[in-house]
Amino acid sequence: MSRNSIILLVEDNPDDVELTLRAFEKSKVASQVVVATNGEEALDYLFATGTYVGRDPKSMPEVVLLDLNLPKVDGLEVLRRIRSDPRTRRLPVVILTSSKEERDVIASYDLGANSYVRKSVDFAQFAVAAQQLGLYWLVINESPQTGRERSDG
Amino acid sequence: MNAMAQTVLIVDDSLTVRMDLAQAFESAGFEIILCSTAADTRAAIKREVCALVVLDVVLPDADGIELLKEIRSSLPDIPVMLLSSEAEVQDRIRGLKTGANEYVGKPYDTSYVLSRAHQLVRQSESAMILPRNTVLVIDDSPTFRETMRDLLQSRGYKVALAESGEEGLRIAADIRPLAILVDNVLPGIDGGTVVRRIRFDAALRATPCLMLTGSEDKGAELRAFDAGADGFVRKEEDIDSILARLTAVLRRTEEQVEQATTASLSGPKKILAVDDSATYLHELSDELVGEGYDVVVAHSGKEALEMLAAQKVDCILLDVIMPDMGGKETCRRIKATPLLRDTPLVMLTSLDEREAMIDGLVTGADDYISKSSDFEVLKARVRAQIRRRQFEDENRRIRNELLQKELDAAAARAAREVAEARAAMVDVLERKNSELEAFSYSVSHDLRAPLRGIDGFSQALLEDYSDQLDPKARDYLNRVRAAAQRMGELIDDLLQLSQIGRAEIKPEQVDLSSLARAAVADQKKHEPERQIDVHVQEGVNAQADNRLMRVVFDNLLGNAWKFTAKTASARVEFGTTIREGDVAYFIRDNGAGFDMAYADKLFRPFQRLHSESDFRGTGIGLATVHRIIDRHGGRVWAEGAVGRGAGFYFTLPSERSGVHR
Repeated sequence: MSRNSIILLVEDNPDDVELTLRAFEKSKVASQVVVATNGEEALDYLFATGTYVGRDPKSMPEVVLLDLNLPKVDGLEVLRRIRSDPRTRRLPVVILTSSKEERDVIASYDLGANSYVRKSVDFAQFAVAAQQLGLYWLVINESPQTGRERSDG
Repeated sequence: MNAMAQTVLIVDDSLTVRMDLAQAFESAGFEIILCSTAADTRAAIKREVCALVVLDVVLPDADGIELLKEIRSSLPDIPVMLLSSEAEVQDRIRGLKTGANEYVGKPYDTSYVLSRAHQLVRQSESAMILPRNTVLVIDDSPTFRETMRDLLQSRGYKVALAESGEEGLRIAADIRPLAILVDNVLPGIDGGTVVRRIRFDAALRATPCLMLTGSEDKGAELRAFDAGADGFVRKEEDIDSILARLTAVLRRTEEQVEQATTASLSGPKKILAVDDSATYLHELSDELVGEGYDVVVAHSGKEALEMLAAQKVDCILLDVIMPDMGGKETCRRIKATPLLRDTPLVMLTSLDEREAMIDGLVTGADDYISKSSDFEVLKARVRAQIRRRQFEDENRRIRNELLQKELDAAAARAAREVAEARAAMVDVLERKNSELEAFSYSVSHDLRAPLRGIDGFSQALLEDYSDQLDPKARDYLNRVRAAAQRMGELIDDLLQLSQIGRAEIKPEQVDLSSLARAAVADQKKHEPERQIDVHVQEGVNAQADNRLMRVVFDNLLGNAWKFTAKTASARVEFGTTIREGDVAYFIRDNGAGFDMAYADKLFRPFQRLHSESDFRGTGIGLATVHRIIDRHGGRVWAEGAVGRGAGFYFTLPSERSGVHR
């Protein structure tokens, strides 16, 4: 089974969604980006609940790009729930946020974030970051899911 | 649990007196040493520690008063009671002026001598063991105890130390300290309990107590006042303010001391009888001594005044008609002396002296009695006068106590209000702080996002619609992007500045040389093409917050880099120098420099001395540096000249002052 190359982008700001999608497009990393605009939606997607009932819960994205400031369920809570569920415990999660407050960085790593990337105001820099993220998580990184499926098959 | 029996040295050449006093003192529980000569006495005093000396004025080998002088020169504090058969008033005055604590005429009343002896010994005990300047420090930290001891001693206090509340209470009972400094948190009973027990102890009740605390516990102050402490001090406060509060509570209680030392109500009473007739005086003395009074006589008004200057009495009997200074004038003078004014004064008159007597009463006598009346009547009048005086004293004491209590309550209320106000202020401050924190948090999240949109979509336009834009439109879009990015930088710098105001300073050993090298490397990475001659002094260390010092070096070296951009052979230097006795750290360059007239302006936020087109910048970097050095308790300043480079200097206090636990 080949890698499905899905990225889950959890972001409530439509401008940021648009710019992130554009950056991925530019980076030419082949991928499908699923957008969740709040924390609840992100969890629904991952666990195939709510509006995502019927989605195959075994199919997980390669990486979750998670904003911290989110309506309803905030980013840190989403991360906590991802890490506490056996189905998503090993899912790579990259915090992608405007904040570089130390407490956010520390809380994110404490809850098991794999990486913490600060969104720069400068779009050019942001585009480079998005490109590198895609390249790293979709191409270079060996995901836990791929490993498991390979041993299963 | 009685202490060791006290020794009384009895000096008299009369065997009868020696034996009589020996028996009386022994049965009262004293140890005794008997001497009959001055030579014996000198030897005994060298050999033994005595609590009291009973000294005859006339000795075979010396004058008793001369011997008293000798004793006083080596033992200034020992109580001495003179015994004398000399009826001469001048002897008594001389004895008292030489430093006798009591002068008892012979024949003496044994019970009076014993009762006075007990009183003198008790007084001297409290006076000797507790010189009135002992401060008791109760704290379980040996470091703090010793620091306080050294400091208090250097200010002239004597110091007693206790490491627990229980030990402190025992010592307090023994020495009756001038004041007590007690730690709030102690093993066993805590500071509040110590203060409460002191307040319950009749003998210690008035002792000022200062409560110390090392904790940030807000309730501690209120609890301290609830327990009855006179003051509250945080150990973090510097030692001077602890001493200042100590002085303040001591001053408040000093006025009470005067009253506390007045004679006790139940002690033996002393009467001064003044009459020019020796016969009448003799008769009167016998009657009064028989009643258990100690009688002091004076033969004239002048003698009476001299005597009163040397000795306090409980009642004065004053003849109206005397040669030279009469009773009326004597009475007037006594009543004009503040310390004697309240002593009951009874005029002695003959029947035909009614007018003089009335004059006497007008002058301020408390009563009169006819010499011809029965001595029983006189004794009854004297008793009544002394009792009246006692009631007055007692009333005054109660009044004063009530007043003091009211004052204390008012002070406690005020202190409580201050404590409550402070607690409320801390609350407000904490709320404001957390509001500020929430504000800057949301700034850092929410202000940046729209900027990213402005920059990102401008970029998108430039990339995707480049063919539809003329050069001017592209230039505008680039300017939009530049402005957005600059605003992003401003937000970042402002946030950093506000974070530094709130950040906790964690001092540690910091290698400033390596911070300087790291900041230089950072600059080189950004502008690898620039050739700059960099000198970093090696091995420079300081006690400071590592993270914040990194910000200082990033800013100062960043500035040095920036302002040497147009200098031909740029040079940047980090090192140390001595300024006003302190080590000053500096970062100097030979770049654009600045006008010293604006040196102060440099450190204010948004103050820029160069135009944006010459040197880019937000104008917040030096304000940040200033705030960091300020928060460390150091100083920062700049020296420079236009076109000749700039030097930024700062100091860091090597040791923070104050008491550390």
